[in-house]
Amino acid sequence: MAAPVAGSRIAPRRVPGLISLVVLVVIALVTLLGPWLAPYDPGAQNAALGAVGPGADHLLGTDNLGRDVFSRLLAGARTALIGPIFIAAGTTALGTTLGLLAGFRRGWLDAIMMRLTDLMFALPGLLILIVVVGIAGGSYVTAVVALIVLGAPVDIRVIRSLALSQRELAYVDAARTMGLSDRRIMFRHVLPNLAPTVTSNLLLSFVFALIALSGLSFLGIGLPAGTPDWGLMIQENRTILDLNPWAAVAPVLLITITAVAATILGDKVFERLSAGKELTA
Amino acid sequence: MRDELLRVSGLTVSLAGRRIVDDVDLVVGSGETVGLVGESGSGKSLTARAVAGLLPPTLTAGGSVRFSGTELIGASERVLRKFRGRRVGLLMQDPFAMLNPLLTAGAHIAESLPRGTRRDRQEVVRRLAEVGITNPDVAYRYPFQLSGGMRQRVAIAAALAGDPELLIADEPTTALDATIQHEIMQLLARIQESRGMAVLLITHDLRVAFQLCDRVQVMYAGRVLESGASKALATGPGHPYTLGLISALPAVERTAVRLEGIPGSVPRAADVACQCAFADRCGQRQDDCLTERPPLRLLDSGRLTACRYDVAPAASVAAPPSVPSARKSSANGPLLLVEGLRKKYGQAVALDGVDLRIEPGERLGLVGESGSGKTTLARCLLGLVDPSGGSIQLGGMDTTRLRHLPAARQREIRPLVQCVFQDPSTSLNPAMTVGATLAEAAALAAEQDRRPVGEVLELVGLPSGYAKLRPHRLSGGEKQRVAIARALAVRPALLICDEPTASLDVSVQAHILELLRTVNSELGTALLFVTHDLAVVRQVTDRIVVLLHGKVIETGVTASVLDSPGHDYTRRLVASVPTFTGSDACTI
Amino acid sequence: MDFAKVAAKRLGAVVVLLLTLSVLTYALLALAPGGPEEALLGDRASTPETRAAIRALYHLDEPFPVRYWEWLTGALSGDFGSSIYFRQPVLSVIGDRLPVTTTLAGFAILLTLAVGIPAGLAAGLRRSGVLDQGITFSTLVALAFPPFGIALVLLYTFGVALQWVPIYGSDQISNYVLPATALAMGQTAIVIRQTRAAALDVGGQDYVTFAKARGLPRLRIWGSYSLRNAALPVLTVAGLLAAGNLTGAVFVEQAFSLPGLGSLLIQAVNQKDIPLVQALVLLGGAVVIAVNLLVDLAYMVVDPRVRHGASTRAEA
Repeated sequence: MAAPVAGSRIAPRRVPGLISLVVLVVIALVTLLGPWLAPYDPGAQNAALGAVGPGADHLLGTDNLGRDVFSRLLAGARTALIGPIFIAAGTTALGTTLGLLAGFRRGWLDAIMMRLTDLMFALPGLLILIVVVGIAGGSYVTAVVALIVLGAPVDIRVIRSLALSQRELAYVDAARTMGLSDRRIMFRHVLPNLAPTVTSNLLLSFVFALIALSGLSFLGIGLPAGTPDWGLMIQENRTILDLNPWAAVAPVLLITITAVAATILGDKVFERLSAGKELTA
Repeated sequence: MRDELLRVSGLTVSLAGRRIVDDVDLVVGSGETVGLVGESGSGKSLTARAVAGLLPPTLTAGGSVRFSGTELIGASERVLRKFRGRRVGLLMQDPFAMLNPLLTAGAHIAESLPRGTRRDRQEVVRRLAEVGITNPDVAYRYPFQLSGGMRQRVAIAAALAGDPELLIADEPTTALDATIQHEIMQLLARIQESRGMAVLLITHDLRVAFQLCDRVQVMYAGRVLESGASKALATGPGHPYTLGLISALPAVERTAVRLEGIPGSVPRAADVACQCAFADRCGQRQDDCLTERPPLRLLDSGRLTACRYDVAPAASVAAPPSVPSARKSSANGPLLLVEGLRKKYGQAVALDGVDLRIEPGERLGLVGESGSGKTTLARCLLGLVDPSGGSIQLGGMDTTRLRHLPAARQREIRPLVQCVFQDPSTSLNPAMTVGATLAEAAALAAEQDRRPVGEVLELVGLPSGYAKLRPHRLSGGEKQRVAIARALAVRPALLICDEPTASLDVSVQAHILELLRTVNSELGTALLFVTHDLAVVRQVTDRIVVLLHGKVIETGVTASVLDSPGHDYTRRLVASVPTFTGSDACTI
Repeated sequence: MDFAKVAAKRLGAVVVLLLTLSVLTYALLALAPGGPEEALLGDRASTPETRAAIRALYHLDEPFPVRYWEWLTGALSGDFGSSIYFRQPVLSVIGDRLPVTTTLAGFAILLTLAVGIPAGLAAGLRRSGVLDQGITFSTLVALAFPPFGIALVLLYTFGVALQWVPIYGSDQISNYVLPATALAMGQTAIVIRQTRAAALDVGGQDYVTFAKARGLPRLRIWGSYSLRNAALPVLTVAGLLAAGNLTGAVFVEQAFSLPGLGSLLIQAVNQKDIPLVQALVLLGGAVVIAVNLLVDLAYMVVDPRVRHGASTRAEA
């Protein structure tokens, strides 16, 4: 049902996806090249200057300690984004594998997975995470690992229910009848049909992780005070909204733009990949 | 003709400017039963929906629909609501989706009774009795507590609660078992007669239409190709398409020498707007069929056809060599031997001591309705399900618990028996090309038996270029051919066909059945044909086994069982097949 | 299976969940740096006498099951011990802060339902129209907008730029408008999406067409067909919303410096005030579990299939 594409013109329905992709690529590049692009040392203080609004010297102004907000944003992209990338990859890998095994093999593994995910859905997970990491004095890495575990149940359930419906389809019976091994059927036959969902899960997990991880930083959990990080910057600079609003609003906007772009891309990739495939979900 | 109740003229249905139903005329007189017949994609159901004013919001209707003189196209919801239920009733296909899961059967009927009548329990019970439900407690049951047949009866009672003058029945029995289909159709005919109500019956089954309807209108690619009295149409079709459909129909009374399908597939209405819609598939096409759209012309008393030419009679098939089966002498013992096979799911008994024997190259039919255990039996033989008891021997090897044999042993045995599944839309992996699917299967055959993909495709009558396509590009019939090719690529000794044509149109079904017969006679592959359709089983099997509640109740040579059934249930099954043959249509 | 059996099964599951939650909560004590003794001691002088008193008071010399049991029976009778920082019973500390959070959450839920359901229905009915696309895109942004981010942007816009409200201050009800908005936004987005999907799904069902075909009055179709069936999938997110509300409240109270349970929790976590943290976690978990139980009961009332044990609740 793809709209006809005239010449090299881009079909209007693909514009949001393309914009999102460009935004994410730019943000990724900035994350990688941040240290070389930053005009100031993100840690360099200038107590005499204090918090000032945007100007010629400081593109986005400075914070209470006179540190350059723009440089801190560039540096802060690393902790803000690299953790979520690991979380998204970890959650998706864990969730897809366990979900596929549970849904396709059923049996004891499935029973355990269902009980575990039921339990995790029934409790306010993020709240418990805040408390556990906060009290144990956990580090950034602890938070990343904990978020992988916390995010996996959603993926497990989604993939499991898809695997359950796929295994009822005749092509799986046909593969079994031919004597193909379970592993081959699962990973070579069923998994490719779940590609749209797995890809969109990856991006949605990234969004979840981005918000959760920066939320932890915002609460002062996970990263030591003073680290340049988007969530931490919001926390530190929310009291100087009157002096230099950009110090807190800019990281908010960056987090939101990244999250929106990833969500839209997830939607579009799902639509694109599932076009023409009869997925009975 | 009796008083005119419904007059549809120049009806169109479009999706985003593209015509799906194009210039349809239709007249239904009061008390008359009219059949609207067509294969999938013919636009018959959309025509029905447009008449009821209930098209999905993405579709728009044009032209004119007049009911007792009132124009319904473009009428406001207020006007339409007065007609719906009270004057025009609609019955839909799927009894599982038609009833509100949160309301009881009685509530459905009570809420549909016209305002001003007593909506009490007595009235509901009376309405239930009219549709053959004598147990008044059914009124308190929820849809999920009722069988498919019961749901459809409740739905009929609800649709008729407003005492409509016209009932539009859109494939009302397609989702039901053969014997239930028969009962529901008879119920409809009885109610139609006792109420003197008009019925517009939408169906894909010519035999049902000929049997129940006074007049029949054949639709194809969104337009009408032929219309006229049932009897006249059945005995002397005035359009090559009608003739093709009739020739493609398998008959339960005899085995056709050759099953003739219609080549090609149904085009989209918009693609054939300025030509004869059937021209691309027509055997007697002339040049002007492609340049101009033929108008409906009067053939004889009230018969219309959209063909410019007289229909050439079906080419009579020369010398009928009785269809050979590849059955071989069983010097090496039977290919498949099933003894006392049992299967329980919890408390429910699916198979209750089934014995079965198939010789090499033999064609055996396994007949039964849903719940008979026929699919469970097939799945046991394929090693997809563990039997609870009894034994299965395949080629002299014990395969009762095939699933639990060592992997190497399974790889050896499994290629012996392959399967063609019912639903072509799910039987191919959508993520793999046809070529990859076939190559994977071929790699499982013994080395000396391996065939290249092109050759396998040729075997099922598909061009080798299809190897590059993915399944979503194929039609239902083509997918089923690929599924057969995949099974054959493994070089099985036994091919199990689990209702392989149940979801295909008749014209396509004939092709697939003919293909399976050829496969048997030329490759010597034994067939186990699982079906509920007696007319089909007559065409492709030598012997049949009738299954009821997990037990074999009758077995024997196909022709003799169907001609003179021994068991009461088999008799009922045979009686439920609409009896029509091209030469002698009969009405109820 | 009948109603009583189904209900009993659900209640059994709830008890198991509550027990699991309480074990997790109690185990928090062991997580604290320096062990339970240090944590419970707080900043009191660490003399052998105070240590012995603490050990006796909290049964720290008993085996784990006994300690846990003592704590649980105490907690069940409302005794969560004393807050180390506030030096008063945990329950009274919580009681002081409770009204702030309940007002905030109640306000947010009201906003969520009042905006979410009509907007979702509107989008679902005008499928693919400009309104639908606008609403769908807005929900996408709202879902990707972290609650503390929304809080900050609202604070800046209305507090600093427009100066309509004081940034921080009094506990008038008008002060809850911004926090409740920040808290409600993400949840409203969830409700809108769920309602829209349900409206689309139900609208396309055969039973709705069949109801129209029988000429049923529009109100009847809306009431006992569309709304009742659409309510089921919307109900399923209620538990999710409850959990989101609690977690969101932590961020929003922190961002607006509201003295509610959320900021109390963060304070307690930072001060390692374990008894207080335990009570708050137990309270939060119990609220989510209770909401899920209510959802299950509501299901049984609305859906005869669930009531008769033919469980059809979609597996997410």
